[in-house]
Amino acid sequence: MIVRWVLTIGGLLGLAAASALTIEKIAVLKDPGHVPSCSIDPILSCGSVMRTAQAEGFGFPNPLLGIAGFAVVTTVGVVLLAGAVLPRWFWLGLQGGVTLGVVFVHWLIYQSLYVIGALCPYCMVVWVVTIPVFWYTTLHVTRWPLLVKYHGVFLTLWFVVIGLAVLQAFWSYWIS
Amino acid sequence: MNTKISLAILAVVALVVGAILFFNRSDADPQALASQGGKVTVVEYLDLECPACGAAFPGVEKLRSEYGDKVDFQLRHFPLPMHRNAEQAAVAVEAAGSKRDEMFHLMYSNQQNWAGKQTSQRETFLGYARSLGLDIAAFEKAMDDPATLSKVSAQRTEGASLGVNSTPTFFVNGTRFEGAPTYAALKKSIDSALAK
Repeated sequence: MIVRWVLTIGGLLGLAAASALTIEKIAVLKDPGHVPSCSIDPILSCGSVMRTAQAEGFGFPNPLLGIAGFAVVTTVGVVLLAGAVLPRWFWLGLQGGVTLGVVFVHWLIYQSLYVIGALCPYCMVVWVVTIPVFWYTTLHVTRWPLLVKYHGVFLTLWFVVIGLAVLQAFWSYWIS
Repeated sequence: MNTKISLAILAVVALVVGAILFFNRSDADPQALASQGGKVTVVEYLDLECPACGAAFPGVEKLRSEYGDKVDFQLRHFPLPMHRNAEQAAVAVEAAGSKRDEMFHLMYSNQQNWAGKQTSQRETFLGYARSLGLDIAAFEKAMDDPATLSKVSAQRTEGASLGVNSTPTFFVNGTRFEGAPTYAALKKSIDSALAK
């Protein structure tokens, strides 16, 4: 059951990224001149992304949602690895949570590429883990045969589309 | 099965992107920016909304007034995507025609009034044009002319092909200037280029 590992590892990576973003956010609040560790050049810059209104989608810093959400995802993954069998209503609840997460992440991707015009490396870690967490939870809950059979292909296509969108959005800066 | 198809997809995408890159590669040589006709050339790629560019500007202005006869100063646009109004500001500068230098000056000396805003600063820029005594109708027409924007975009593309990835980036006689672009550091670099 691949979903157990995806939830555990994806949850841990997401938790690490959300924690790093929270720590950087606090550092910026303490010292507005602080340059976050993930500000590499004008495009790869979490400093400029963290200061935008979109970084506080619900009126407080987004990484706080990440810390709560990814801690739950990790815990569920570990519980499954421990051999627990969870009832369907529990899976439906998880499905609801990861669906909200994946929708929010795509809104953030859109904002990052087309409105803010910069990429924040830690945020991109969150993009990359949220998609498989959603995908394998959905496959486990729905069990659509075609999707289950080609699970890796659909996931690859999903990443390819986002990768190409990133390339296209920053094409003139990276191509030289 | 999944791995095979996924790898095939990735291979195809890599091939296509690689081919696009290959056929669009630029062989721009910064030496093309070097002096012509005995003068030393200083090319600056700048973003009007970037604070570091605003900080460097007074030094550049001073050098321009001191070395105007021996050094050819060229200010070129490299508006960065996260600066909401940088591109429009660059367009406004190019739309100012004979008052281009004055517009540069106004943009930087008033930078704190318009930089970092998430709303269009077109009205602010129109105000600058008015204060320079430009014909507003002609100025607006030039701002909305796609040719003005393509002029800015062409400079940015050229900058990217020369390896510019941050602003401000200076080239003194085709050699990329490294370090903080202070008045003294730029002066030293220009002097050594003049001495050659």
